[in-house]
Amino acid sequence: MDVLDLARWQFAVTASLHFLFVALTLGLAPLVAIMHTRYVRSGNPEHERLTRFWGQIYLVNYALGIVTGLVMEFQFGLSWSGLTHYAGDVFGAPLAIETLLAFFLESTFLGLWVFGWHRLPKRLHLACIWLVTLTAYLSAFWIMVANSFLQNPAGAVLQGDRLVLTDFGALLANPTLQMAFPHVLSAGLLTGGAVMMGASAYQLFRRTAEREFFARSLRMGVITAFVGAFFVVSFGFAQIGPVESVQPNKWGANALAGVAVGNMISIGMLLFLATGILLALLKWLPNWRWLHPLVMLITPMPFITVILGWLAREEGRQPWLIYGKLTVADALTPGLTAGQITLSFVGFVGVLGLLAVVDYVLIARLVRRGPERVPLGERPVPALTF
Amino acid sequence: MEIIWFGILAVLLAGYFALEGFDIGVGLLLPFTGDRDKAVGAIGPFVLANEVWLVALGGVLLGAFPLLEGEVLSAHYGVVVALLLSWIVRDAGLWFRRRLDGPGWRAFWTGAITVGSLGLALSWGGVLAGIIGGPALLGLAYGVVVAVAFAFHGWTFLAWRLPGDAVAQGARRGGAALGVSAVVAMAPALVPLGVLAGDVVDRAAPSATLSVLSLIVLPFVPVLAGAQVWVWRSFGKGAVPTFF
Repeated sequence: MDVLDLARWQFAVTASLHFLFVALTLGLAPLVAIMHTRYVRSGNPEHERLTRFWGQIYLVNYALGIVTGLVMEFQFGLSWSGLTHYAGDVFGAPLAIETLLAFFLESTFLGLWVFGWHRLPKRLHLACIWLVTLTAYLSAFWIMVANSFLQNPAGAVLQGDRLVLTDFGALLANPTLQMAFPHVLSAGLLTGGAVMMGASAYQLFRRTAEREFFARSLRMGVITAFVGAFFVVSFGFAQIGPVESVQPNKWGANALAGVAVGNMISIGMLLFLATGILLALLKWLPNWRWLHPLVMLITPMPFITVILGWLAREEGRQPWLIYGKLTVADALTPGLTAGQITLSFVGFVGVLGLLAVVDYVLIARLVRRGPERVPLGERPVPALTF
Repeated sequence: MEIIWFGILAVLLAGYFALEGFDIGVGLLLPFTGDRDKAVGAIGPFVLANEVWLVALGGVLLGAFPLLEGEVLSAHYGVVVALLLSWIVRDAGLWFRRRLDGPGWRAFWTGAITVGSLGLALSWGGVLAGIIGGPALLGLAYGVVVAVAFAFHGWTFLAWRLPGDAVAQGARRGGAALGVSAVVAMAPALVPLGVLAGDVVDRAAPSATLSVLSLIVLPFVPVLAGAQVWVWRSFGKGAVPTFF
């Protein structure tokens, strides 16, 4: 493999890993926020247990979202400085806004939520998880604005050898953004719902002592997964027209993109159907043990479709990095050596790959352990005595 | 407009060194600390709000100084990769160390915090020495300077957060002492930035880009600052939380 191939593989592997964790984050954040709201409103300790149990699953997943995201942010300048040179004045703006107005706040409020149990006033503590959810969605929005610019470089003109920003509104009105953004958010909900129902089905299949806890979680997971599946399919079909209006024959000309989009649609429709049937059986589902392995089998499916969707979108613009303007080859950092890219490829892919495996094993262990002894939100050890 | 964004860049860099400096410093001190759980617990609620200053700095480089971003990162490729890998390892240590029971598991990830923190301090030295044109050996020496400054800042933080506690050998420090150690932690970054201020400003994005960024970002600066202040007001005192 030459330098360009390695740089592309490095981006593809780190971006896919990032997307796997981010999709689940986007799906679980509102669910944890809803559970927390129910707890604050009702004072019911069962809702507190739900919030803490699913909250810690959300957080362990979140950790890998952060560390893969760090590589994503700095990778542009490291191995794709041709992109920042040619289009940084335009492409950089939404990314800068994302880091300052979305992720900066998301990270700060997340810290307040994680460590604020029994310390912040209850309603302010609840507000933190909603702010985390809101800023996570804002993050996704600005990242999609930047990505949509690569698909369809609206709002910029060439001046000398660089693009300059002429119309920021055109970045936001990009036809490759409008349906794709809700498509991604729905994919997140589908993923979050599928993980929740799969984990709950596993516990129920093992005849858990926490029957009521996981029956409730299973129902919430199925409803969420169905809502996500419905909208992910709807917005998916809705975006075909706008995308093809600016990238004609996007999925016809590129074999890999075509395979990816085809399989994504098939699995997506299947998930819509499957979650629809589960929804119809919701009343009996917690008791029908024979069905639980099937529910568990659904869990990895949204992750596969998320990667297929990413492939369909990004392979479909090859060989362009900025569609019609800058090729991927021209965006490579000039003078990047084989030694450098090999070193960073091995480092990033090796370390992040290992951590991703550890992370998924941890999530599986925490699901298995159940809602007893959840460190998140534990009362401080020297309990107050009067 | 360029001056405003250079100011934002400088504040983010200084803020990162002043804030994340004590997290990294405490990470460096862990092998010499008796109660590691308590030391990690002291920085725990601050880390997420602190490390994000560098994420924001990266964003400002991309959006307001894209030419500089490409030049600086690609010209110091190896050491920037080392910095990112160290950051990843440090964060993994924090997030994972309490997720399973067992002393071996916790000791391993505590070690990851220290290794990652050491890598962060040394590679920062390499990046900062590199951008002022220093050779690799100077970078290493500068890394040691950064590490010592961070360790001092981390120790002062522990003596401020847990006054009289054994994690900082029973020392007690007030807010003024923490301010002084923050300045010590910032100095290694601000000196090179000051030297290069002219070059940085020359590489700013055109005013059309900076205007849009200003219009969208500047109104929210009080919100960003308020959220940070809230963290300090919430976690500066009281029992040490145990999630990390």
